[in-house]
Amino acid sequence: MANKHKFDAIVIGSGISGGWAAKELCEKGLKTLVLERGRDVKHVTDYPTAMKDPWDFPHRGQVALAIRQQNPVISKHYIFNEAAMHWAVPDAVHPFVEEKPFTWVRGYHVGGKSLMWARQTQRWSDYDFEGPARDGYAVDWPIRYADIAPWYSHVERFAGISGNKDGLPELPDGEFLPAFEMTCVEKHLQKVIKENYKDRHLIQGRCAHVTDPQPIHTEQGRVQCQHRNLCVRGCPLGGYFSSNASTLPWAAKTGKMTLRPFSIVHSIIYDEKKGKAKGVRVIDTNTHEMIEYYAKVIFVNASAFNTNLILLNSTSNRFPTGLGNDSGLLGKYIVWHNYRGRMSAECEDFMDMRTVGKTPNHSYIPRFRNVFKQETDFLRGYAVGVGGGRGFDPDRKGIGEDLKNQLIHPPLGKWGVSAWMMGETIPRETNHVRLHDTLKDPHGIPQLAISVEWSENEDKMVKDYLEQMTDAFTLAGFKNIKATDSHANPGADIHEMGGVRMGKDPKTSLLNEWNQLHACKNVFVTDGACMTSGSTQNPSLTYMAITARAANYAVEALKKGDL
Amino acid sequence: MKRRQAIRDMALVAGGILTLPAWARAWSPATLPDRTFFTLTTYRDLLSTVIGAILPESEIPGAVSLGVPAFVELMLADCYPKEDSDNVQTGLRFAESVAQRRHQKAFAELPLAEQQGILTEFEKGDDKPLKDFYGLVKNLTLQGYTTSEYVQTTFLEYEMAPGFYRCVPVKQ
Repeated sequence: MANKHKFDAIVIGSGISGGWAAKELCEKGLKTLVLERGRDVKHVTDYPTAMKDPWDFPHRGQVALAIRQQNPVISKHYIFNEAAMHWAVPDAVHPFVEEKPFTWVRGYHVGGKSLMWARQTQRWSDYDFEGPARDGYAVDWPIRYADIAPWYSHVERFAGISGNKDGLPELPDGEFLPAFEMTCVEKHLQKVIKENYKDRHLIQGRCAHVTDPQPIHTEQGRVQCQHRNLCVRGCPLGGYFSSNASTLPWAAKTGKMTLRPFSIVHSIIYDEKKGKAKGVRVIDTNTHEMIEYYAKVIFVNASAFNTNLILLNSTSNRFPTGLGNDSGLLGKYIVWHNYRGRMSAECEDFMDMRTVGKTPNHSYIPRFRNVFKQETDFLRGYAVGVGGGRGFDPDRKGIGEDLKNQLIHPPLGKWGVSAWMMGETIPRETNHVRLHDTLKDPHGIPQLAISVEWSENEDKMVKDYLEQMTDAFTLAGFKNIKATDSHANPGADIHEMGGVRMGKDPKTSLLNEWNQLHACKNVFVTDGACMTSGSTQNPSLTYMAITARAANYAVEALKKGDL
Repeated sequence: MKRRQAIRDMALVAGGILTLPAWARAWSPATLPDRTFFTLTTYRDLLSTVIGAILPESEIPGAVSLGVPAFVELMLADCYPKEDSDNVQTGLRFAESVAQRRHQKAFAELPLAEQQGILTEFEKGDDKPLKDFYGLVKNLTLQGYTTSEYVQTTFLEYEMAPGFYRCVPVKQ
């Protein structure tokens, strides 16, 4: 019995970073327990809507009003539609306290948010890692690009990343499969930007889609992306990277992995005598039993805020305010991404061309503000996503046979162009999560109180983005340009990060350069919680690389007897 | 179509039969509170007549033969607040009363052009509840029609898995 509860490693969470921890640890021969709080999701067979056509959905995608009203938090999100809502967590399943408005989007199932992500995978550069040291917000990162570059390559080759080698210092190239095609309007904007701005480049987005399967992808059972653009339902082809399609089956194949769904981690057990963690307490959501599992090394990959929650709830005599929290900074310096600025426009050129097919990708302008030096009245900067296509635009006025003819033989519309910002938010101590004093979730675990808000820096950045893109769109000759600030809640970006930040000094950070808790070296945190700052890139690729790096370090340290 | 079937088959071969497990039903409309929409079949018939006037039958199937009325009723029952669906019933009653007043006939008995004339008056008129009634029914009718399998696959180039995205010259 006791033996069944003993492992070499425990990985808490099966999402994008947990999947990578599982793969690396199992491949290196560690008997690994992967804990997932939600249900199992088997690749292909557990994607119930993946092969459905639009007319298969009784409400054509819309969620019934009564369900929306019961779930005000998650109903703000785009996955909350008939095709993908099986990945959504009903608000009542895991209540939390919005001390300030925060849209916390979670994926409580095997694979986590790796099934729901937007699949954009841009590397960080040294300009991103050096941001905090330059302006003094947050602490300096303990790693630089050179530390992580080989691990970016490692995860990119396995995951399958499409893109062009663009040769930009602010957005390093990676191990790329062929890029998606840009549309003629995107290429036009690319040319206009190149001619008018020395510091800006419109490139094709780099994304985790297998555009030309290599043997490593075929071996995973994944085939070429077929441009279904139904990614959020789960892809039965494995056309994009997810834990379910890629890392978890790979880990399972080693025979070293035990995957345990329906397992909420209550806390990490600290061994006061040995001065390290010895295991975890798990609540089985089916039986409501509390069960303990033991291991030499623990990877915490529960998603940024749940990782904070687990550490905060892991109290002991040595750590009365949460595991590893000697600095008192656990839960603080939360960052996220500012997607508030939105642009739309029309293009009346290229009327002899149209787009056909579908794309799961879009174009991208890497950050150009404050990259090499501080140059604006706000700190840090933003990247920009851009898409431009041309579809049908029937005249919906009228009635009867004429209207029917418009609908079945719709004329082409103008080109539609849209752009959205992805801005860095400044790490501030006041933006934090903590355990609520009294409120508990249905399993008796304290609820997470989330206290995160926008500041003036973000307002200024939105204003700059809208001005700069309005200028660029005007130069491109676009018409009907609309620039709006959505004022969306923090969290709607699903890029919440921080709270267990990496750093050089245990007094001002929680994790060292290998993602070990400074004060409890056999606990590694490698999901979004570890982020010292957020920069502007979609963060998942960086979590993957950081996780693979830390897992390989952990294996070496175990061999040497250091853990 | 063949291509779509091939992809579907591929997915089935890759992982067995696609079934809907219990957890996937946790969100389904079956868990909704029971809301009987039309208590009288006269409203159901009248709604169907209105929908048939918006997109009538010809050599190309119209909204009624593509099953749009059932879709519109389902949407009204599940996806809109009660005041909106109540307003649809009020609007239907009003359309009926206009038909009786002007032509001493049931709305359904009027020639298509007369039916369309009354609805167009609602659309272009200043009476907000009537505009809202017709606007909602028309929007849902167009949505149901254009997302039907027949229209999608016969006219609108529907491809589940096109395999590409690119610019091409517009066919003259």
